[in-house]
Amino acid sequence: MEALFFREDGIVDFNKNRCIGCKSCMQACPYDALYIDPDTHTAAKCNYCAHRVDVGLEPACVNVCPEHAIISGDMDDPDTEIAQLLSRQQVKVRKPEKGTVPNLFYIDADDASLNPSLTEKSNSYFWNSQERGVGHYAKQAEKMAFTNPDVVQAVIQASGVQGTTVEPEGAKSIDVLLGKPRRIYDSPDKGILWGWEVSAYVFTKAISAGAFLIPFLGWAFGLARPDAPTFFWALGLGLLFLGMTGLLLVKDLDRPDRFLNVLFRPQWKSWLVRGGYTITAYGGLIVLLGLINWFGWFGLEAPVMWLTALVGVMVAIYTAFLFAQAKGRDFWQSPTLAVHMLVHSFMAGSAAFLILNLLIPQSWDWTALLQRVLMIGIGINLFTMLMEMTMTHPTVDAKRVVHMILEGRYRNQFWVGTVLIGNVIPVTLLIFAQDNPLLWALAAVLVLVGIYVTEKIWVEAPQRIPLS
Amino acid sequence: MGHHKASVIERIAEKIGLIPDLHQAEEAPLNRLTEPGDLTKFPPPEQWDDWVEYEATAWPKKEKKHYSIVPTTCFNCESACGLTAYIDKEKGEIRKLEGNPYHPGSRGRNCAKGPATINQITDPDRILYPMKRTGARGEGKWERVTWDAALDDIAARIRKAIQEKRNNEVVYHVGRPGHEGYMDRILKSWGVDGHNSHTNICSSGARFGYNIWYGYDRPSPDHSEAKFILLISAHLESGHYFNPHAQRIIEGKMKGAKLATMDPRLSNTASMSDYWLPTYPGSEAAVLLAMAKVILDEGLYNRPFLENWTNWQEFLENMHPDIPVTFDNYILKMREAYAEFTPEYAAKESGANPEMIVEVARQIGAAGERFATHNWRSAASGNLGGWAVSRCLHFLVVLMGAVGAKGGTSPNSWNKFKPTFFDNPPGPKFWNELHFPDEYPLAFFEMSFLLPHFLKEKRGRMEVYFTRVFNPVWTYPDGFSWIEALSDESMVGLHCALTPTWNETAFFADYVLPMGHSAERHDINSYATHSGTWIAFRQPVLREFARKQGKEFTFTYEVNPGEVWEEDEFWIELSWRIDPDGELGIRKHFISPYRPGEKINIDEYYQFIFEHTKGLPEAAAKEGLTALEYMRKYGAYEVEKHGYKKHEKLLSDADLKDSTVDPKSQIIRKDGKDIGVMIQGVAHVGFPTPSRKNEFYSQTMVDWKWPEYAIPAYVKSHIHPESLQKEKGEYVLVPTFRLPTLIHSRSGNAKWLTEISNRNPIWMHPQIANRFGFKTGDLVKVNTDIGYFIDKVWVTEGMAPDVVACSHHLGRWRRPQDKVGNRWATNTVQISNDGKGGWKMSTLSGIRPFESTDKDSKRIFWSDGGVHQNITHAVHPDPISGMHCWHQRVRIEVPQPNDKYGDIFVDTKRSFENYREWLNMTRPAPGPDGLRRPLWFNRPLRPQTELYYLDKKEE
Repeated sequence: MEALFFREDGIVDFNKNRCIGCKSCMQACPYDALYIDPDTHTAAKCNYCAHRVDVGLEPACVNVCPEHAIISGDMDDPDTEIAQLLSRQQVKVRKPEKGTVPNLFYIDADDASLNPSLTEKSNSYFWNSQERGVGHYAKQAEKMAFTNPDVVQAVIQASGVQGTTVEPEGAKSIDVLLGKPRRIYDSPDKGILWGWEVSAYVFTKAISAGAFLIPFLGWAFGLARPDAPTFFWALGLGLLFLGMTGLLLVKDLDRPDRFLNVLFRPQWKSWLVRGGYTITAYGGLIVLLGLINWFGWFGLEAPVMWLTALVGVMVAIYTAFLFAQAKGRDFWQSPTLAVHMLVHSFMAGSAAFLILNLLIPQSWDWTALLQRVLMIGIGINLFTMLMEMTMTHPTVDAKRVVHMILEGRYRNQFWVGTVLIGNVIPVTLLIFAQDNPLLWALAAVLVLVGIYVTEKIWVEAPQRIPLS
Repeated sequence: MGHHKASVIERIAEKIGLIPDLHQAEEAPLNRLTEPGDLTKFPPPEQWDDWVEYEATAWPKKEKKHYSIVPTTCFNCESACGLTAYIDKEKGEIRKLEGNPYHPGSRGRNCAKGPATINQITDPDRILYPMKRTGARGEGKWERVTWDAALDDIAARIRKAIQEKRNNEVVYHVGRPGHEGYMDRILKSWGVDGHNSHTNICSSGARFGYNIWYGYDRPSPDHSEAKFILLISAHLESGHYFNPHAQRIIEGKMKGAKLATMDPRLSNTASMSDYWLPTYPGSEAAVLLAMAKVILDEGLYNRPFLENWTNWQEFLENMHPDIPVTFDNYILKMREAYAEFTPEYAAKESGANPEMIVEVARQIGAAGERFATHNWRSAASGNLGGWAVSRCLHFLVVLMGAVGAKGGTSPNSWNKFKPTFFDNPPGPKFWNELHFPDEYPLAFFEMSFLLPHFLKEKRGRMEVYFTRVFNPVWTYPDGFSWIEALSDESMVGLHCALTPTWNETAFFADYVLPMGHSAERHDINSYATHSGTWIAFRQPVLREFARKQGKEFTFTYEVNPGEVWEEDEFWIELSWRIDPDGELGIRKHFISPYRPGEKINIDEYYQFIFEHTKGLPEAAAKEGLTALEYMRKYGAYEVEKHGYKKHEKLLSDADLKDSTVDPKSQIIRKDGKDIGVMIQGVAHVGFPTPSRKNEFYSQTMVDWKWPEYAIPAYVKSHIHPESLQKEKGEYVLVPTFRLPTLIHSRSGNAKWLTEISNRNPIWMHPQIANRFGFKTGDLVKVNTDIGYFIDKVWVTEGMAPDVVACSHHLGRWRRPQDKVGNRWATNTVQISNDGKGGWKMSTLSGIRPFESTDKDSKRIFWSDGGVHQNITHAVHPDPISGMHCWHQRVRIEVPQPNDKYGDIFVDTKRSFENYREWLNMTRPAPGPDGLRRPLWFNRPLRPQTELYYLDKKEE
């Protein structure tokens, strides 16, 4: 929304009046520099005290520091203290590999205090502790302020606020014995910023896109065409799940009242904006297709079908680009993410029709196509995941996510939910129960469950890596 | 939002009202204080009356906000750093507090505790009106009363006590004094020996060790000019004068000084040090003597200083009468005296590296006079004989001749301002044995932590007991004995808690009288933060703002929130009412020096002091201001930039007129008082000791029955490994370490500070943890001499082996009946009592979010409020200094399944027995000539000299 911007003097400033609370900036910043201000429900950050600098005052932290340990100034002016320190001292920056060219330098810094992956997070340190959510989660904490604390605990655990502790508490004293560095103080954990709303929206979006792409596949390649009622069902499903997607998207915002900013205060480089427009266009095209079919304007059908398909594919995959813009999250930088989302769309779409088939029986060749697509989808899906899990990840953080999925806290969800329920069992059912629509539908339900679980893992796990 | 150019879509959407218009025209920007690219630190004072800046919460909208900037001083530790209050001119409220660049101690900088003062001012739990108890004492039932009713009631009781010669029953007990003589003057005017303080749980151990050397009880290290800095404990992050000292320690370090720290804990200070000596608690003196030995053996000492300014002749004459009194023999006998303190011996006692001990000693030797040292509480307040630590530390300073030198260590009084009062009542004609009992003739301050035991022994009672910035139930050892004493109306007739906030002691008061926070009252401060001398003015900033706005008022409470008074005015009003007709002779001490016959007001009180502050009226006149106006505007004044070697000041002919010189000691006397000493035939002022020199040999110690400590010595602590049965799980608990962001109960009610620090697990070296199978987070039972507490373990190598430690600022509590009271930091606890001295405390709930006027109170994200450890500590009065020796011998144990986090048990019968055991270690008065106390030992509220003699009956 162009809420975050560079000033002419180089300060990265923030305009909370434009912010919709989508938290993309928090995912993108490798330094965890942004947070949600619970008073305004918008993002906020240190802006080098721009309001002071503009009247000629030093930033407050520079002014107050008893030890004069924070030095600010013009690095390009060789006479300034900072320029002289930079030229004489060996300095370090945080995460140089992120290519952000940071202008915050540390003298004599210990790696363990600059690199968050060298130490584990905890809920209790040597003189502070955290029991409840802050920032984005403060609103939930506030609602629970007067309930039984045990319930509060349980709810917070469920919402993943405390979840960034990778290792159990006991392991930390072992770290001491091994001489490993340990966090002794930390600011409160902000929790998992993109929660169930985001995994759910990826899921509904997959159904919405698939609901059109499957019939399109049949139509375009002359494989099998859904009958007219099924086609209207397809458009209906597409629209319904698109609507749900939109609602979930808005719900995820910390300022849902400002959702129109996505369209009307666009920041064209943002995939949130591009996605917003894509979704809007897709909705419009589906309505148009409905009108074409209803009124019999068949001359328009072919071009609109193709255009809708193109936009539909975008709907299916743009979130991969949105995630890729979250530069703080290494695991989301994977090139296979788009493939993974497209395949999920085809799987979700065909699964939806196979379930629909129980209510409104459909033609044999059409359901055969659905099964085929689903089976091929599962195959590609497993292959994509294999790629994603086995390829060499360039960064420690991405490797840690893979470890979390395969062997760590997500191993049950992944092996049971994703692999077994979402892929292996459905494909088995489809192979061995070829003429039983009930079993097809069962396989379809399992596929949908699998997709949701997978998206949940893919959305959540990378956010458990501490950025600072 | 000037930066943003709206796109076409946005402009249309804004125009047709789909989204709010964010592109309205802005007002002209503010003028900059500097050229673009250049930044300054503070708004210039000429703009303080109407300072305009951009509102941060509206940013990037450039909303202009008008402030009146009024300086005051911080009260969230003892440094009294400068603050400037930004008063929102529209609302008339304090918006924020920043540093004061005109304060010579803090120089515009602050630690976290300074700006957090705003939390205390806006705290939803603060007390706004006077409260009187309605139920039984401690029951938690209160009603609001008027100030008039409270003042009249209290005044009548005091008046009656004074009329009946029960002057010793009126007591003012203060935690943090401040006030530079204000209360002494009040109590003297009442004629009561009624000053009790916190010092014997704080610094009197160290004070004794310094005083016995040079008649001054504290050091003033000149860190910024030093070449070598030796700190006992964490002065860089949390010690006395944290912010002012930290600035100067780092300044010194940046100029090349080396830093050594002795501390069993790897504090932030230790981690910034060139040398960390993780000494076993109580072994510090042994290490310091080993360093002294190196300096003596290797001839690194400052011969001229030792020769001129130590009483070596007295030492040789008294301890080695058989050998000639020569300087060489002095050195020889010192070397013999400390021959046993080899680096190996010191290493065995302390666990420190022997090579490092030698290296530090040589570095000290190389630094010469530029050797700055500091010890305030720490080891000197933790151990039996802790005073020996500061005595041995100062020994090194003496050996280097760094006493008072540039880059060295001065007496604190040289860098502390003494105000001149408009009226000086004589010292009281009473000696309060509840404060200075005969058993502790050398006790450096009042034996305040034994008060409950003294009351139980019926040594006296108190008719009116004021507590101010004082929370003994929580801060002191043995808090349950305090609860017992405070709950008993035969021991305490009327307890008035003067406090801005509820605390564990105020729960047991009869009156809770709200006093202002630091920015809501008057005071003057002067502290030895460096080699200069300054005076700072704490003022109620809204009063100054009201004055500037032309508002009419008489008392500060009229401009403060609610009916929050300031004690300065409270004491004047109370004194006036104690003596309504002037018959008691009290009123005459409260007559304005400017308006004859009328009651003084607080402006006049400070006006007089500032008018009599050296150089201040002249500095003010240069700006066209009076002295008072100058202090109101700038909040501070530098009386002296630097002051070194003041003992070398020569006596003038006028000084020497009618004086005599003692042929043997060379001491110069005039009118019965020692005024100086002849050094190499020249008359110098010297030091305020019997010899006017630094006393390596102390005749005082000999005279007062402690000949074994005639010269600096190592005293084995009560928690020396020889006194612990390690096989039974006994270890030493270091319960004193400070956190950088908290200060006892004074920093309470500041949400930002509580957010940073809210729990106090037991720091434990892996060696101990492994022995019991503890992991970080496990519960541990810590048994003291009188009870136990259950805390959590924090396993760390940042603690010396064989030592466990616990920070002492946490574990605040309230009971279910105490509805409010620092809910940011208090656990809710249940207290039960078996009537036979057995007290139990258990945590009902941790810290909980709550609904209040502060939005953040429902967002409290922490729940662990820590554990109240001090209440399980037995009292350990040092038989010489009277200091409570904080370190505890504890037995570490794995808790039983029914032990819960925060459980506490204490048996006060055992604590009383324990008190009697320590009392038996004393060597009571009288000393020579039937004295209660050496005449040259000062004490707060010094009574008439004849009261120093035991046989002198009170009137």
